[in-house]
Amino acid sequence: MKGKAIVAMSGGVDSSLAAALMAEQGWEAVGVTLKLMPREDTGFGCCGSPADISDAKRVCEALGIAHYTLNLSDIFEDKVIKPFIDAYLNAQTPNPCVECNRSLKFGTLLGLAEAWGASCVATGHYARVEEGRLYRAKDAAKDQTYFLYSLTPRELAKVCFPIGGLEKSEVRAKARALGLKTADKAESQEICFVPRRDYRGFLEERAGAGRAAFSPGPIKDTAGRELGRHEGLASYTVGQRKGLGLTAPEPRYVVGLEPETNTLVVGGGKDVSCPSFTAGAVSWTTAAPREPFRASVRIRHRHAPAEAVLTVEGSGEVGVRFDEPQRAVTPGQAAVFYRGDEVLGGGTICRATTGGNR
Amino acid sequence: MIYLDHNATTPVRPEVLDAMLPFLKDGFGNPNSVYLAGQRTRKAVEDARRQVAALLNCKHEDEVVFTSCGSESDVLAISGGAWQAFDDTKGARRRLVSSPIEHDAVRGQLTLLKRRGFELDLLAVDRHGLVDPGSLAAVLGPQTALVSVMHANNEVGTIQPIAQLAALSRAQGALFHTDAVQSAGKVPIDVQGLGVDLLAISGHKLNAPKGVGALYVRRGVRLVQGITGHQEKNRRGGTENVASIVGFGKACELAAAELDASARHYETLRAKLIGGFLQIPGTRLNGHPEERLANCAHFSISGVDGHHLVVALDLEGICVSAGPACSSGSSLPSHVLTAMGVDAKLATGSLRVSFGWSSTEADIDRLLAALRPAIEKLRRVPAGSL
Repeated sequence: MKGKAIVAMSGGVDSSLAAALMAEQGWEAVGVTLKLMPREDTGFGCCGSPADISDAKRVCEALGIAHYTLNLSDIFEDKVIKPFIDAYLNAQTPNPCVECNRSLKFGTLLGLAEAWGASCVATGHYARVEEGRLYRAKDAAKDQTYFLYSLTPRELAKVCFPIGGLEKSEVRAKARALGLKTADKAESQEICFVPRRDYRGFLEERAGAGRAAFSPGPIKDTAGRELGRHEGLASYTVGQRKGLGLTAPEPRYVVGLEPETNTLVVGGGKDVSCPSFTAGAVSWTTAAPREPFRASVRIRHRHAPAEAVLTVEGSGEVGVRFDEPQRAVTPGQAAVFYRGDEVLGGGTICRATTGGNR
Repeated sequence: MIYLDHNATTPVRPEVLDAMLPFLKDGFGNPNSVYLAGQRTRKAVEDARRQVAALLNCKHEDEVVFTSCGSESDVLAISGGAWQAFDDTKGARRRLVSSPIEHDAVRGQLTLLKRRGFELDLLAVDRHGLVDPGSLAAVLGPQTALVSVMHANNEVGTIQPIAQLAALSRAQGALFHTDAVQSAGKVPIDVQGLGVDLLAISGHKLNAPKGVGALYVRRGVRLVQGITGHQEKNRRGGTENVASIVGFGKACELAAAELDASARHYETLRAKLIGGFLQIPGTRLNGHPEERLANCAHFSISGVDGHHLVVALDLEGICVSAGPACSSGSSLPSHVLTAMGVDAKLATGSLRVSFGWSSTEADIDRLLAALRPAIEKLRRVPAGSL
């Protein structure tokens, strides 16, 4: 036996197989499902819905391992949902999955795992850890390192991603071969706590419909000419093209949200591209570099990382200058720094030089 | 495995299993059948009824009605009693009285009756979880159909002044029910001395198997049937669960015979547990200092989520609980602790330890040895437990 490993199980196929593989590799695997929403009646596929908890339990029973449900809804509310709402109210586009990984899975859960005498926390994320360093998953289309950059060296020494070396199709095939009941379960990809993808409705319900971020205002071009009306800045994100209600010969994109004047600024393709930005709340998977260095930078999930020069400022923020300007650098989203397949670290996009909140 | 959660359920005693086995093999006759095979199982059921009646000091054996569990007994008593009183008085008696610390079986049934037009008064409890009989006197009246107050609380173990509460209720012509699921077999129960009309107990809390319970129904008290059928003298339909009833009877007989000895045993264990537990900083004992069960103790632990502690101890092979097993995993603080005025944050850090027939001092030692490091480690989890 290699010791105890806590496996975070959502009730999906990936974490089910992760649990099976940990047990197979000789760990004393213990399944844990986080219940993140306080209400018992959340019918949609949020982590910890009754159906998902029951799937995770059935898988653990089949594997002959223990399973516990942990109610972390208070911490989830504090660390993920509230900041998510605040970001939209402040004209940013948040990334709740990064925060959930940081605060819950590799924050509280890792802390609890250590208190419980486990030497590792395993999840069904598509990513690889080798000798304490974080690498992209074998399945490039499924790679989730964009949401995992905040892992610190101390945390990386204690996490396992047992399916990171597998393609999604291999995961399903192995799960089927093992007879796991979640082998063919559909994926959930939306933000888990927002029902029916209606994040605007969710925000209004939670923050109150009277907030400034929900009031209509002008849509202007970069020269300040009014082109139409928007439905409240919370409904828009930098780089967005659809749903603007504008008729123009050229495609128009959101290039900035200006909460001070409740203005949505749109522009052409050129206006939405951005040569440089600053990332705050930066975290490193290894020692923080002192000198400027080259890395490829991913500014949203599935964005092909773009070559850039990175400079760590005295404040800890990182200046990123792309070789080629990139479309839609969105404040609030994560910027993740790669060298080849390795994740060096990342941060939150706070200021973009062109586009974004100028 | 160290099992210290006897308030959740108990192991079946070997003597109980031995008593049951013949009725899972050859003794399968329906006790309602005419032929000898039925007569034999009928005798077994009636012997068991006598054993249960003896534990409760019933005046008549046939005051014991067998059910499938404690919850069914509660539901039959409350719903059957409330509707009978309502019908008998052409709707004049339509008020119910209970406490805020009842088991979910009772709370759920009261809520249903409220939806059907009954009115419900909940009496307050003090910080020990005790109901003040004066507060009952204040709400009782000619409209009261039924009063239901539990005998011993399943979380903190506080024992209510049932005799006083029952006397007040019956003086007003109201039925009095008590849920004694948690106390039966642990403290003496004398239905005549308590003066109750209805009293619910459960098999698996006193070393009988799951799936059998009983309701004491004082002779003369009528109930609207829940499960219809002619069995149990037209009070509860369904062919008798013979083997389990036999086991239940045997378990009651053993409990009655050992009541004094086990009370002394529990007091020893409890003193040891409390002495050791309260040495851990940031802990306190809940429940009434004297009027309480001897077999359990309920603690608050600051800076720790009770569920996290339960997992930590389980991973060490020790079974205890953060609250009633029925509400495990709920994010809400226990309604019992809330009613007792325990701060919501502190209520999250709850641990209930309960022992029984098989518990030893060595079990308590093992628990105490594991507790302190587990609590200290959990308190260090960043933004973790609380």
